[in-house]
Amino acid sequence: MSGVIQGGWEYVIAAYAVTAAVLAAYGASIFLRGRAERQRAPRAAEDR
Amino acid sequence: MIHTSSNTSMMRKPVDSRIPLALVALGVCCLLAGSYWGLARAPSEIFMGDVQRIMYVHVPTAWNAMLTLVFAFTCALLFLFTNDWKWDNRLEGAIEVGVVLSLLLCIQGSIWAKPTWGVWWDWDPRLTTTAVMVCAFGGILALRAFVEDPMKRAVWSAVCCIVASADVPIVYFSVKWWNSLHQAQSSPETVSKAFHWPLRINAFGILFLWTGFVMLRSRIAALRLRSELAPPIPASAGTEAAGAAPAGAAL
Repeated sequence: MSGVIQGGWEYVIAAYAVTAAVLAAYGASIFLRGRAERQRAPRAAEDR
Repeated sequence: MIHTSSNTSMMRKPVDSRIPLALVALGVCCLLAGSYWGLARAPSEIFMGDVQRIMYVHVPTAWNAMLTLVFAFTCALLFLFTNDWKWDNRLEGAIEVGVVLSLLLCIQGSIWAKPTWGVWWDWDPRLTTTAVMVCAFGGILALRAFVEDPMKRAVWSAVCCIVASADVPIVYFSVKWWNSLHQAQSSPETVSKAFHWPLRINAFGILFLWTGFVMLRSRIAALRLRSELAPPIPASAGTEAAGAAPAGAAL
């Protein structure tokens, strides 16, 4: 036991992949919700 | 007392949508450059080896998650003092982005904890206070989803945000105040110079990204608020209004 961590690239790749996936998914959700809200606003005004 | 009629900022023309998109694009470029530097060019750490490279995304995420929630706290205070709806819209955006970054922070931390501590999670002060922070601000988002009255929603969530923000400095100082398994705060003073650049570039990358996200998310909140507070269109004006520009078109 040297106290030095050997390898570990799988954890590094997992951390970067999760970061990219979460940020991309959140960005996409903002885009989709923004589009849906822009489409909903005129309909809501007409309903009133 | 907050009066709906005095709050007209939601009717103002919003900033050009190219600004938040440019910020998001700049953030992505910085993150790509910083991650390349951290993964391919920076040296590995003497004890943690390559696992330490997780620091280049984990630490900037932590800084920015807390910064976003401090911004949310500022928005809450400004809404209560100025009665301006734009601060409520920004509060909603900042809390949501802050919760996403805090959750991401916990996931990255777990991935780092497994090879270094031997466990995915430990109830140490830093991790526990972070979990409390996520739950508290997540609860405010749930509150906003359930309350239909815009005025009650804005005031209640601003007050809850101010209360929940008390946990943010506790998260930051927890590693100093208690004997913690988590290492001390990482900063340019506490890490080797060889690690500075990827850390800084990624920190600015996430800063630009969350600023753009908060601007875009605030716009969605403004659109919803506009449709909630808009007066009903008279029946005789219905045919004229159908041909006019929609209420949220400027956003």
